[in-house]
Amino acid sequence: MNAKKVSANVVAVLVAAFFAFPTYWMVTTALKPKKDLLSSSFDLIPSSVTSGNFVTAWTKPGFLQSLGNSLLVSLSAVVAALVIGLLAALAMSRMRFRGRKGFVMLMLVAQMAPFEALLIPMFLMMRDLGLYQQLSSLILIYFAVTLPFCAWTLRGFVNGIPIELEEAAMVDGCGRWGAFRRVTLPLLGPGLVATSVFAFITAWNEFLFAKVMVRAEDKETLPVWLSGFQSAFGTDWGGAMAASALFTVPVLVFFLIVQRKMVTGVTAGAVKG
Amino acid sequence: MKGLRGLAVGAAALAVAVAGCGTSASNTGTAGSSGPKTLTVWLMDGSAPTTLTDALNKEFQDSNKDVTVKYEVQKWGGIQEKLTTALTSDTPPDVIELGNTQTPKFASEGTLLDLTGDASNLNGGEWLGGLKDSLTWEDKQYGLPFYASNRTVIYRTDLFEAAGITAPPTSNDEWLAAIEKLKTANAANPDFQALYLPGQSWYTLLSFIWDQGGDVAKKDGDKFVGSLDSAQAKAGVDFYKKLVDASGTKAPKDTDEAKPQQMEVFGTGNVAMMIGLPWELGGAVKANPDLEKKTSAFPIPSKTAGKSAPVFLGGSNLAIPAGSKNVDLAKSYLKLLSGKKYQDQLGAAGTVPGTSKDTASLASNPVGKALAASSANGKVTPATPKWAAVEAGQNPLKDMLTAYLTGAKSLDQATGDANTALTALLGG
Amino acid sequence: MTAVETTDAAVPVRTSSPAPRRAVAGGARRRRGSTFDRLLPYLLLAPAVIGILWLIGFPVVSVVVTSFRKLDLGELVRGQVVWVGLDNYAKVLSDPRFWEITLRTVVFTAVVVATSVVVGLVIALLMRQLSTPVRILLQVCMLLAWAMPIIASTTVYQWIFDQQYGILNKILVKLGFDYAGHSWFSTGTATLSVIGLLIVWQAIPFLAFSLYAGVIGVPADLYEAAGIDGATAWQTFRAVTWPELKPLLMMVTFLSLLWDFKVFTQIWVFKEGGPSGGSTTLPVLQYLEGISQSHFGVAAAVSVLMVVILTLLTVSYLRKLLQTQEGKL
Repeated sequence: MNAKKVSANVVAVLVAAFFAFPTYWMVTTALKPKKDLLSSSFDLIPSSVTSGNFVTAWTKPGFLQSLGNSLLVSLSAVVAALVIGLLAALAMSRMRFRGRKGFVMLMLVAQMAPFEALLIPMFLMMRDLGLYQQLSSLILIYFAVTLPFCAWTLRGFVNGIPIELEEAAMVDGCGRWGAFRRVTLPLLGPGLVATSVFAFITAWNEFLFAKVMVRAEDKETLPVWLSGFQSAFGTDWGGAMAASALFTVPVLVFFLIVQRKMVTGVTAGAVKG
Repeated sequence: MKGLRGLAVGAAALAVAVAGCGTSASNTGTAGSSGPKTLTVWLMDGSAPTTLTDALNKEFQDSNKDVTVKYEVQKWGGIQEKLTTALTSDTPPDVIELGNTQTPKFASEGTLLDLTGDASNLNGGEWLGGLKDSLTWEDKQYGLPFYASNRTVIYRTDLFEAAGITAPPTSNDEWLAAIEKLKTANAANPDFQALYLPGQSWYTLLSFIWDQGGDVAKKDGDKFVGSLDSAQAKAGVDFYKKLVDASGTKAPKDTDEAKPQQMEVFGTGNVAMMIGLPWELGGAVKANPDLEKKTSAFPIPSKTAGKSAPVFLGGSNLAIPAGSKNVDLAKSYLKLLSGKKYQDQLGAAGTVPGTSKDTASLASNPVGKALAASSANGKVTPATPKWAAVEAGQNPLKDMLTAYLTGAKSLDQATGDANTALTALLGG
Repeated sequence: MTAVETTDAAVPVRTSSPAPRRAVAGGARRRRGSTFDRLLPYLLLAPAVIGILWLIGFPVVSVVVTSFRKLDLGELVRGQVVWVGLDNYAKVLSDPRFWEITLRTVVFTAVVVATSVVVGLVIALLMRQLSTPVRILLQVCMLLAWAMPIIASTTVYQWIFDQQYGILNKILVKLGFDYAGHSWFSTGTATLSVIGLLIVWQAIPFLAFSLYAGVIGVPADLYEAAGIDGATAWQTFRAVTWPELKPLLMMVTFLSLLWDFKVFTQIWVFKEGGPSGGSTTLPVLQYLEGISQSHFGVAAAVSVLMVVILTLLTVSYLRKLLQTQEGKL
C-alpha cells in the first residue's frame, strides 16, 4: 500500500510538471534577454534573466485602462449570468410545471450554437441597438455566452441541496424567500463561486468579439491590448509573454480567493450524501 | 499583405451571416453642414511614425476649426473581421488604411469611395505605380497610395569583409559564390548561417519567379489562372531550393519569416544575410544594438549580371469608405497627407512614399538606398479581388515550397498541385 | 471550479431522497396553489429564456436565413438581399473535400474528447490517493494551465515544437534520439496531433476538477462495503465508482464534445489548416469561406451543417438525458 502511495505521488508530480511546463516556459521566455530568445543551445534553464520585458509590458500604454475594461466587462457579464441563471436553475430544479423539460433542453441546446459563426449577426444586432462601440455590447454578448452553462450547472447544484432543509426552515416560520435566503443561498455559495470561475475565464479570454465590437483604444479589453504586441513590425515575443503572465495574474488571484470555498463546497457535498 | 500576418497570429474566428442588414440606415446625427465635426482616421499599428501623424493631425485641426481628428490606431490581429464589420456600420471611419493586396477585394465590392476625379488634387501624377495598380478597379481609382516597401538582402559588412568579399554580389552566381566564401570563413561557428531563408518566404520566391520571366498567374479573359507550371516559374522555384541548399540555412522549411521571426534570428549575430524589409533590420538592431554599425543592404540579385531582380512591392493604400459621412473633410485630410512635406517624412522613416517620386529622404542610409534602387523594379501580385483569399489562409505557394524543399514532391508535382489550387482560388 | 459538477454527480448518488422529497415539494405547492405559485417558475425562467432567445436564438436564425442567400462583401455592405435557395448547400456538399474534412473533424473530436475525458478521470482518481501537498501542487499546476491565455499557450506550444529552436527537440537530442531539426508539422495528421495535445492539455483541468469533485462525492460507506468484500481496486472501480460517476462523466463528455468540435483558434494559428489543407477541420473551412473569401452565405451553410452533424453526434445522449429527466419528474 505504501509503495503504491509513493508511486501515485511520483506520477502526480510528473503530471503536475506536464501542466506547469508551458507556464514555466512563458515566464522564462519573458525573463530572457532578447538575444537569448532564439538560441540553439540547450536552454531549459535560462542562463541570464532580465526584468526588461515585464517593464515593457507594464508600461505599454493602456494596460491599466484595458485591465479595468476587462474586469468591468467580465464581472458584469458573470454577475448577470449568475443571477439570471440561478433564478432559472431554481425553477428547473425545485418546481414542477408544464414545459420544464423543454426549458432544460433549451439550456443544453443553446450551448451547441457555434458562437464564432454568430459574429456578424450579433454585430448587426448591436449596431441596430446602438450599442456598437460600447462596452455594454460585450457585456451582453458574454452574458449570453455564459448564461446557458451557468443555468445548467447551477441547476445541478440546487439539486444537490436536500429540499428537506428548506422545508424545515419553512416549518420554522420562514417564508419561501426566507428559506431560500437563510438555507439554500449559503449552501449554494460554493456552487455559485465555482460556476463563476468558469464563466469568468470564458469572458476574460474572449478576443474576437472584443476586437470587432469596440473600436476606440480606450475601450479595449486585455486580450485586444495583448494582441498589440504583434504589429506590422513583427511580434515582441518577450513582451507578449510578460504581458500574458500579467494577464494570467487576476485569474489566479480569483482562483486563490475561491479555492478554499470550492474545497469546502465539495466536502459539504460529500457529507450531505 | 500585412493583414495576413495579423490574421495568422491573432486569435481569430469565423464570421458568417446576416439577415436583412444595411437597410436600416438610421442617421446617427453625425452629419450636418455646420457645427463641430469629428473626422475618424484609422491607420494601422506601426505604419506611419507617430511624429508624422501627430504633426499631421495637429496641422489639419489647426486649419479646420471645429473639426476634431479622432485618430484610431488599429492592431493587426483580427483586422479582416474588423474591416468587414466597420465598413458595414452606420458610422464607418472616414479614412482607412488597407494592405495593397487586400485593396482590390474592397474596391471591387463598392465599399470604397471612387477617388478618380480627385487624383489630380492628391498628387496623382506621382503615385507609386505598383500601388496605383492595386487600387485601380475597372479603370477607376478607389484610394491613393500610402507607402510601400520591398525586400532587399540585408547583410553583415564585417562578416563579408572577413570572408574576403569586397563588393556585394550583383548576380545570382556571385551571390552563391559569396555564400560559399562565408561558409568557409565561418566554418568554426556551428551556429553560423550564411543566409537565413525559411521555407515559406513566398514574397522572396516572387522575386525569383519574376526574375526568370515567369509569374504566378496570368490573365485569361476576365479571369486569372495560375501559371506556376510554366518553365520560368519552375526555374524560380528551383533557384529558391538552390539557395536553401547552398546556404545550409537552419531555418524551418515549413514556416515563413515570421515563425520564428527572422529578425530575431539575425539578431543573434550568427547570420550573415537575410532577405527582409528595413524594419526587420530595425528589429534585429533592437535585439542586438552592436549590429547597427555592421549592417548594410543590397538589392536582390538577378540571374542577369549587373541587374537586380524584380521585387514584390508591399504596402498600404489609403481609402475613404463609401459610407463616410465626412467625405469632403476626408479628402482634404488626404490632400494634406499626400503633400511633399509628409511624404518626405515617410521616406525618412524608411519606406517608399506613395505619392511622391522624390526618394531622396529615403536614400539617406544604405538600406534605404538599396530599397530605393530596387523599388523602381517593384511588382505586385495579380490585381484581382480574389487574390486576398490566397493570402488570407492556406496559401498554395507556401505548401508548394515546403513540399519541394522537403522532398515530399517533385518540382513538377509541387508546382502542378499548387497551380491547380491557385487557379481554383482565383476562379472561385 | 471543483464543485461545478459535484452535485450533478451527486444527484443520482442521493437517489434515496429525491423521489419522496419532490413529492413533498409538489404537494406543498399544490396545497397553496395560488396563481402566483403557478406562474412563479415561468417568472423565474423568463429573464434567462428571453436572454437566450434574443441574444442567441435570433442570431442563430439569421445564420440559417443567410445560408439561403448569396452574401459576399458587396451584398453585406450594400445591405442587398439575394436569395439563392439551396445553392450554398449544393456547393458545399458537392465538394469532395467537405466529406473528407467532416470525417477528419469527427475523428479529431472523438480522439481529443476521449483522451481528455479518460486522462481527466484518471487524474481525478489519482488525486484521491495523493498526500495533501502533492495534491495541492497538482491542482495549482492545473490551474496554471487553465488560466493561461490562449494566445500565450498556443504560442508557447509552437515554440516548444519548433523545428530548430524548440526545447522538445533539444531535450530529445540530449536524451540521445536523432531529433535534431525534426519537423512536427510535416503532415496534417502530425499537425493535428500536436494541436490535439494542446487542446487536451487545456481541457483536462476542468475535467479533472469536475470529476474529482464527483469522485469524493461518492459516499465513503460504499467503499467501505467494497473493502469488506475484499474487492480489488478495479472491481471497486467497476462496482462503486463507475456507476456513481457515469452521469457526470456523460455530462462532461457531452460538454467536451460541444467545445472540441468547434475548436478553431488553435488549429488556425498553428498551420492555417495546412500543410496542404491536411489539418483543415469544419470550423477552419467555415473561416476560409467566410472571412478569407468573404462568401458569408456559403460559410453560413457550413455552420448549419456543423450544427446538424453535432446534433447527430449527440442525439443519443440528448435522448437519454430527456428520459432521465422524465424519470426524475
